[in-house]
Amino acid sequence: MIGELELENERLLQFLYACPVGLIELSADGTIGMVNPFAMQLLLPLAGTSFMENFFDVMNTYAPELRNLADGFPAPRGTVCENHRILVKPGNDPGDEKAMTLACTLVKLAQSRLFVALTDVSKQVLQEHRLKQAEVWFASLLDDVNDFAVMSLDAEGRIDAVNPSVLRHTGFSRAQLLGHTMDVFDMQVSTHERLGAADQISEARREGWYLHEGWQTRLGGERYWCQRLIAARSETERETGWDISGYTVVMREVTQQHFAIDQLTRMLTTDYLTGVCNRARFFEMGERECLRARRYSQPLALISIDLDHFKSVNDTHGHAAGDEALKAFVNACAPCLRPSDTLARLGGEEFAVLLPSSTLQGAGELAERLLDAVYAATVNVPGGVLRMTASFGCSELNQEVTNLKGMIAAADRALYRSKEGGRNRVTLALSDQSTVAVG
Amino acid sequence: MSDVTTEAIEFNEVCLSTLDTMTAEQLDQLPYGVVGLSAEGLVEIYNATESRLAGLLPAGVIGTDFFLSTAQCMNNFMVAERLKSEPKLDATIDYVLTFRMRPTPVRLRLLRSESTSRRFLLIQR
Repeated sequence: MIGELELENERLLQFLYACPVGLIELSADGTIGMVNPFAMQLLLPLAGTSFMENFFDVMNTYAPELRNLADGFPAPRGTVCENHRILVKPGNDPGDEKAMTLACTLVKLAQSRLFVALTDVSKQVLQEHRLKQAEVWFASLLDDVNDFAVMSLDAEGRIDAVNPSVLRHTGFSRAQLLGHTMDVFDMQVSTHERLGAADQISEARREGWYLHEGWQTRLGGERYWCQRLIAARSETERETGWDISGYTVVMREVTQQHFAIDQLTRMLTTDYLTGVCNRARFFEMGERECLRARRYSQPLALISIDLDHFKSVNDTHGHAAGDEALKAFVNACAPCLRPSDTLARLGGEEFAVLLPSSTLQGAGELAERLLDAVYAATVNVPGGVLRMTASFGCSELNQEVTNLKGMIAAADRALYRSKEGGRNRVTLALSDQSTVAVG
Repeated sequence: MSDVTTEAIEFNEVCLSTLDTMTAEQLDQLPYGVVGLSAEGLVEIYNATESRLAGLLPAGVIGTDFFLSTAQCMNNFMVAERLKSEPKLDATIDYVLTFRMRPTPVRLRLLRSESTSRRFLLIQR
């Protein structure tokens, strides 16, 4: 009899060891009770190799809202969230295959017992991205049916026919376009940051179509945001597949009204607790701003911010007080920012501000104002009033720091120096990767 | 037999050639987990310590794809990829495994040499 039980126990273990979905059992505060290998495989790269005890702590950098969602769930049991998307690793552009997104389902089984299911949905997100693009595209076609710019390309990607709308749309004459590739429309962008015309064509050849979005220049140099659908044309099918005879390209200008913000986009782009821009949105905007800044040789700066001793606020006064501190921090910072600046919560107590058209010097000055504003703010906690400070690190786009990742790394190094120097101060990144403290 | 006992068998010291010549009984005596894998990643050796820690009998593990069936948490660039891609390997790393679904900090030693196709994974709790 015992032999049977042991055998059954072993089968159950084998079942859980091989399960291709991550499963974790937690207590109410996030302490990990049980975890299967697949969940560990997903969590280890997030936690580093240090021993992990608390699921909410591990996820705090990527999805601080998980703890809030669980804490704020009013019913004694039920589904707290289902397939909640967590952007773990941002890609270099919206279609980047290296980006990683997890889906997290959190079920409350009892007052102090939570069950988590984790899956890697990175591939699915990539597919959805393309579908969403297609949807936006088709919807927009219905909006303004009258103004299509349509071109035909030959099998090598050279323009061989254009309709009158193309000429109106781009400002080019027919003679200036025929025989050229679509590169004539694109502004100078280094090729590693975006697909060039040739790559767009090969993508369309492979997938049947490709939707491109980006800045384009009219003949006079005026820039506009343009969506471009490239569809492969094929009349004959061979044994090896369709024979591509050429491509049809439809272009349209996207104006501000197409970016209308509704409830859904707000949910997808803002931080659950503080209402500022969330991590996923920040990386998306940051990449776009970097491209823009480099293309027009305009400055772009970034401030990395950490609330000082935040862990002890949580430990001493509880997570609710910690949440209030985060909200107070955001409220203190917001009045100091220009409309074009973007404040984002990147995780836990980490924030960043993206500053278009600002130099490193300008970022440093703003950081000083933010430092004062944070110091002046108060947080009501049970039994008193809490004051807080923050540490700041500033960086800018320059010859050595050429992309968003580089800017963040440089700002983080400067931030680290602020902390080393005793916190509650601002440090600027220097071009040779050293840093200077200014306050 | 006498050859083996004079050689170092500690977790940090034991070398691949020693492990490869030890009998199943001798491997079972070791205080740390020993998993021997074929070039394809199939389990060929699964000693008593590892069996006890994981709660699995060797019979159910031997012949299976280790990083798919039993140890998905090591199916990454830190462990499985290294054993696969580095022809000469002797590395010790800190890691967290999920023995019986409990997070367990361990030290792992990855062993592979050019003289034999079998590679070893040593696990010390």
